[in-house]
Amino acid sequence: MESQESLLKELSNHVVDMDEEMAVETAQRYIDGHFDAYEGIDKGLAAGMERAGQLYEEEEYYIPELLMCSDAMYAGMDILTPHLKADASKDKHKVVMGVVEGDTHDIGKNLVKIMLETAGFEVVDLGRDVPPEDFVAKALEIGAEIIGLSTLMTTTMENMERVVQILAEKGQTQIQVMVGGGPISSGFARKIGAHYSRNASRAVEMAKSLVGEVVPC
Amino acid sequence: MLKDEMTPLERGAALARGEKVDRLPCNPNVANGVARIYGCKISEFNTSAKAIANAQIAAYRRFGYDGVRIFTDLFPWAEAMGATVSFPDDNTANLAEPAIKEISQIYQLEPADPYKDGRLPIHIDAMKYLIDELGDEVGCAGGIVGPFTNAFFLFGIETFIKLLFKNPEAVHRACEVSLETCIRYAQAIIDQGLTPTISEPMSSCTVVSPKHFREFAAPYLKRLVAYINAHGKPVTMHICGKTDKIWEDIVDMGIAGFSVDNVVDLKHCKEQIGDRVKILGHVDPSAIIYAGPPSEIRRAVAECVQQAWDSPKGYVIMSGCSLPVETPLAHIDAMMNAAREIGYPVVPEKLERMIAETPAPPSQPEIITPSEKCSCPH
Repeated sequence: MESQESLLKELSNHVVDMDEEMAVETAQRYIDGHFDAYEGIDKGLAAGMERAGQLYEEEEYYIPELLMCSDAMYAGMDILTPHLKADASKDKHKVVMGVVEGDTHDIGKNLVKIMLETAGFEVVDLGRDVPPEDFVAKALEIGAEIIGLSTLMTTTMENMERVVQILAEKGQTQIQVMVGGGPISSGFARKIGAHYSRNASRAVEMAKSLVGEVVPC
Repeated sequence: MLKDEMTPLERGAALARGEKVDRLPCNPNVANGVARIYGCKISEFNTSAKAIANAQIAAYRRFGYDGVRIFTDLFPWAEAMGATVSFPDDNTANLAEPAIKEISQIYQLEPADPYKDGRLPIHIDAMKYLIDELGDEVGCAGGIVGPFTNAFFLFGIETFIKLLFKNPEAVHRACEVSLETCIRYAQAIIDQGLTPTISEPMSSCTVVSPKHFREFAAPYLKRLVAYINAHGKPVTMHICGKTDKIWEDIVDMGIAGFSVDNVVDLKHCKEQIGDRVKILGHVDPSAIIYAGPPSEIRRAVAECVQQAWDSPKGYVIMSGCSLPVETPLAHIDAMMNAAREIGYPVVPEKLERMIAETPAPPSQPEIITPSEKCSCPH
């Protein structure tokens, strides 16, 4: 019989190799071996996605490769998730995210969502072309600590600024705003009072630091 | 406000002959923000050729920049091939539904007829109005998206990305039919007397790998450039995002000018490909031009000029990408005035002085490290 360790390694490799079919097959073998489903996701599939994110950071992988990796990860998760023990889910930090009104390009947003979920955040995805008010309303409704805004178009940037303004008007400045996407830079983020990360894997580090997950000094 | 002494066409011709000019060419790339200057809604561009042309004309008259272009959004060609586009009342159009829902429909795709399909005839009419009004003083261009970018919109972006791995043949088929649309439209641009420019954002290394670019994008782009060149026109190309790994491929296509995003290293770009193509770029459209203040815009223009003014095949001051619609007009003035203040010939000491006069703001760390975030006393 295969060891848990070797199956976890395989799961991780299938994600990195963008191999959806093998991710499903190995996930099934993992369950057949009665190993812990949460560890299968965390130390197998999600670990693979983190490696894929690292390859993206190193410009070995690009957006299409990351999307294929995430397909493999989710295919494996579909097998493992029904076997999760109920108490495996602890309280998670919540993030509301979406593509700002005026833009329907959502690749970047989807990648950040995948990476945040991989890192243990609970993400509510409002989709594309989302009015500024809706981000704030949803964040208040679910008690989110972070609002993540994405755009690929320079034409929509006023709406990013608007989200920060609405939070200020409502006195909700404890909710942090993260922005990203093609036309966005750290300089722009600073000017509107938001946090910037230049790609999906940096966004995860940013989100972790914003909710205080980083070990304090 | 400083005044120009030459029209853009006079300036361009004199520069080409190596003669004295008043300043470097400068194009802030105002895009649909021209609606704010003309005083119409952006949605009027979807139905009125006059509105498109008049807004371009009004913005040119207001700022005196070196280039006008008929180009409202990325989707008219995909729309003309069957995609559905949503039209916000006063913002830029968006892709709503791709042209085809299933791979099997790919053989039903037909190249668009620029004189019949979608909004293309409106754009062609706008070109006529534009060149009638401004053709003897400023370069008039017709914008087009590259075949690879257009193919994304035929399938929808995520579906198309998966086809890059799972069905290369379908990708090639979509690029081939897109190319035919692009060629027909390029011919229509040329027939109106304008010059085609190509925007190919999906070819960016920020989106796809150089390997995918070479396999799926470059062959079709190269044929489009060759077609335009064979019909007597030079072509300028813009690719958003990172491009350094594909510069050589792009230059080999035979383009005359390459417009670069603000994320690339402009000096490096000049050093590597400036001996073969004109470089255009790359003031940050959001953090600098949209956000201002004018003093920072002035400094940023001087910094770009410092990096690229001596590029062997020429240099044009430009934004790194289209300006946000609501960019304050005073910020666009600041960009133009910086170009006028720098003047010509460029004097490096003057640039240094302009840069020194406005200290750069401290850059925000991208990642808050624990020590920076932590408020405990150290």
